[in-house]
Amino acid sequence: MKPRVYLIVALLLIPLQASLFGPLSLGGAAPDLGLAVLYCVGLLTGPIEGSLAGIAIGLTQDLGSASLIGFSGFTRGLVGLFTGLLGRRVLDIQSPSNIIFLFVISLVDSLFSALFLEITYGSVPVFGLFFGRAILRAATTAVTGYGILRLMTGKNVLAWIRRRELQKES
Amino acid sequence: MPGFFEKNKKHIAILILFLFLFWLVTYQVKAGRFTVLERPVLAVSGFVERIISGTYNAVISIGRGYVFLVRAERENLRLKNELGRLRLENQITNELLSENERLRAALGFMKLNSPASVVVQVIGKETSPSSSTITVNKGSSSGIGRDHAVITPDGVVGRVQTVLPGTSRVQLLTDPGNTIAVRVQRNREEGLLEGKLDRCALKYVSYYVDVQEGDLLVTSGLDGIYPKGIPVAVVTKVRKHEASSFQTVYADPVVRISRLEEALVLLK
Repeated sequence: MKPRVYLIVALLLIPLQASLFGPLSLGGAAPDLGLAVLYCVGLLTGPIEGSLAGIAIGLTQDLGSASLIGFSGFTRGLVGLFTGLLGRRVLDIQSPSNIIFLFVISLVDSLFSALFLEITYGSVPVFGLFFGRAILRAATTAVTGYGILRLMTGKNVLAWIRRRELQKES
Repeated sequence: MPGFFEKNKKHIAILILFLFLFWLVTYQVKAGRFTVLERPVLAVSGFVERIISGTYNAVISIGRGYVFLVRAERENLRLKNELGRLRLENQITNELLSENERLRAALGFMKLNSPASVVVQVIGKETSPSSSTITVNKGSSSGIGRDHAVITPDGVVGRVQTVLPGTSRVQLLTDPGNTIAVRVQRNREEGLLEGKLDRCALKYVSYYVDVQEGDLLVTSGLDGIYPKGIPVAVVTKVRKHEASSFQTVYADPVVRISRLEEALVLLK
C-alpha cells in the first residue's frame, strides 16, 4: 500500500479507537484496533511493509497519547515484522488459528509494555495488569482482528492485493 | 560488499529505523517526553472524535426519548452540573473544617472561593497499553490551558496535556507520566502519587510512615496544579519490605475513569 494510505489509516485509528471502541470495552478493556489492523496488514503484505506500517501506526499512537514517542513505534514495528514473517511462512490467512496468534501477540505486547514501565518507573503491578486487563484486551483484540480479516477476505481484498503484487512484479 | 548493501537496503533501513526508535525512547526516559507534532495529531483525531462522539451521543439520546423530553433533559443536565459544583464546594468545605478542627484555631471565618471551572464532555478514551489519556470537547477558546486540573465532584481526573481551540487531551491520574502531590487525609502525611495504568502508587513513602488500607489521599496543593483538599485515591494495599527503607503503597482512584462522561476543568 502507498505511504499516504498508511498515514490516513494511522491517523483515523486514534479517533476510531478512542471514540468508537471506548464504549465497546469489556471490563474496562477495549480492543486494540491498531494492533488488530496491523496484524492484518502484516499478514497480507509481508515483513518489510508490515514493520513499516507498524512503525507508522505506533508512532501516530505515541503522538496521540501520553506515552514516550517511539515506544509504540518500536513495539508495533516488531509486531508488524513478526506477523509479516508469520504470514509468509506459517499462517493461512483465512484460518481461525489467527485468533490464537493475535491473542498471544496482544498479550506479549501488553506484557512488554508493563515490564518496560516497571523498569522505567517502578512499582507497576505487572501481574495485576496482566490478569486484570491484558487478557481481556487480548481476547477482544483477537476477535476484532479476526473479524477484520474475515471482512477483508470476504470482500475480495486479498485478490486485489495479490493482483497488485503481480502487476508490480511484472 | 556494496552488492550486499544494495541487495539488503530495505532490511538495513528498517534496522536503522528500529535502532533510532530505541535510542529515542531511552533518550526520553532521561530527558523527558518530546511534545513534537502533538497538536497536529490532536487536531485531526479530535476533529474525527467530535464527529463520531456527536453521532454516537445523538443516537443514544434519541434512544432515550430525547425527542419527547428535551426540556426535562436540559433541566436535568443543568441540575447535574449544579449538583457537581455543590458537591465540590462541599468537599472543599469539609476539608477546611477538618483542618480547622485539627489546628483548634476556629478564629474568624475563611471565605471559600470556588475556582472558576468549565464543564467538559469526554469525546474519546485512549486505551494504549502504556498510557492513559482522554479527549474532551473544549479547549483554549473556553479558557482551558496546559496543566489545568481536571476533576469531577468525586475527585481528581488528571491534568490537561495538550490544548487546541476546541479540543484538549487530558493525561489521567493513572498515566505513568503523571504525578500528583497528595497527603493522607487521616494524619496529613505527604507523598507523591504516580500513575500505574490501572491504579496509582505512592512514591518514596518511608518505612516508618503510618499509611493504612482504606486511607483517603487528597491533594496537598504543593504541585501548583491541583487545589488543596480534593480526593484523589483510596489506599488499597500497603507492602512493607524489611530490606528497604521505603514501603510500597498502592491506591485506586476515587473517580471511576471507565464511566467518566463529563468533568470540570479548573481555570487558573
